[in-house]
Amino acid sequence: MLSRLAMRNGSAIASIALRSSAPCVSAAPQKMLLSTSTPQRMPNKMPEEAGKIRFGFVPEEWFQFMYKKTGVTGPYVFGTGLILFLLNKEIYVMGPETVHAAVALGLFIYGIKKLGPGIAEWADKKREETLADAYAGRNANIAAYKDAIEHEKTEQWRLDGRKQLFDARRENVAMRMEIEYRERLQQVAQAVQKKMDYHVELENTKRRLEQQHMVRWIEQNVVKSITPQQEKDIMSTCISNLKNLAPTA
Amino acid sequence: MAGRRVGKSVVDWAAFVERVPPNQKSQFNSLKGKFDALNVRMSQMPEQAATPNWAAYKKTVPVAGLVDKFEKEFSALKVPYPADTQSDHINKQEKEMDVMAADFVKASNERIAKYTQEFNKLESMIPFEELTIEEFDEMFTEGKKMKEKYPWWPHINLAEL
Repeated sequence: MLSRLAMRNGSAIASIALRSSAPCVSAAPQKMLLSTSTPQRMPNKMPEEAGKIRFGFVPEEWFQFMYKKTGVTGPYVFGTGLILFLLNKEIYVMGPETVHAAVALGLFIYGIKKLGPGIAEWADKKREETLADAYAGRNANIAAYKDAIEHEKTEQWRLDGRKQLFDARRENVAMRMEIEYRERLQQVAQAVQKKMDYHVELENTKRRLEQQHMVRWIEQNVVKSITPQQEKDIMSTCISNLKNLAPTA
Repeated sequence: MAGRRVGKSVVDWAAFVERVPPNQKSQFNSLKGKFDALNVRMSQMPEQAATPNWAAYKKTVPVAGLVDKFEKEFSALKVPYPADTQSDHINKQEKEMDVMAADFVKASNERIAKYTQEFNKLESMIPFEELTIEEFDEMFTEGKKMKEKYPWWPHINLAEL
């Protein structure tokens, strides 16, 4: 029998068996002929369930075999006849060992019926658990690989964001420069305006001072020019005016 | 540089924000904040400074010829655009980043190929029920290695326990 592993690992026979469709017995060189059985490419899978039996040990197939010739009762008659024949001709001799054997068989049967199902269940459970563990590990690994691939792809996709990043940074620099430029423009304009405002203000102040000075000068001269005689005249005129106003009030 | 409209939707922020890795969110936010602040500041400033009202000043300024002189010089004056010292640096960084990104993509693709191989191996494996012990050892090499290293059951370093 050639296992899958042997086929894959390329033993001489396996490679020949793979290349030619003829059985390896005829294809293989004489000195390499290890086995003359017909090659089986895959190992047989063991059946999950046992075959059907009667009385706990007689295969069902035997009954089927005899059914065609003898009908349903045939095998039973044959079995009983066989036992009776063996006893009658003393081929099988009843003795103390027979009793021993019967008791031992009874105990075996009792033990199997009593403990068998529990043990079978336990073994099945154990097997299921082992398989489940193995598959869980495999599935976890598969999921992890899938995630890792997904993650790598996302990271690659994220790398494209760097174009925007540098665009934004360049844009920031450009905006800074633009702001600086506009500030300079404003400074120039403001400086010129300030200078002119200064001249205008200077002129205004000069004029105001001159005016004030002129007014004060005229006032002083007028006051100086008034003689005592004039003052007296004005006083008397004022008093007479008041007198004239009094009756009308 | 009046020809180019500075700060007007050159950057595709929507595409940018979804590509930012979660651990660099704060850096992204600070960059975006800076950008927005600059944008607002720029939009508040007039593009051309207001020219002084020459005609009005001509009437009011007493010094003869001063306004004309200023006007001439003002119109002749070219305000220098500030020198760009940072763009070269940024461009250099971008080039470096491009190289780094290409390296990363290459390494990443190699990793993806490796992962895919492992993934396919696990996906297409013979079911555990039908594996022979030799096939199992070949598939999962760890157990075999441990068995060779520690030949006695349970095939682990008991001193470590």
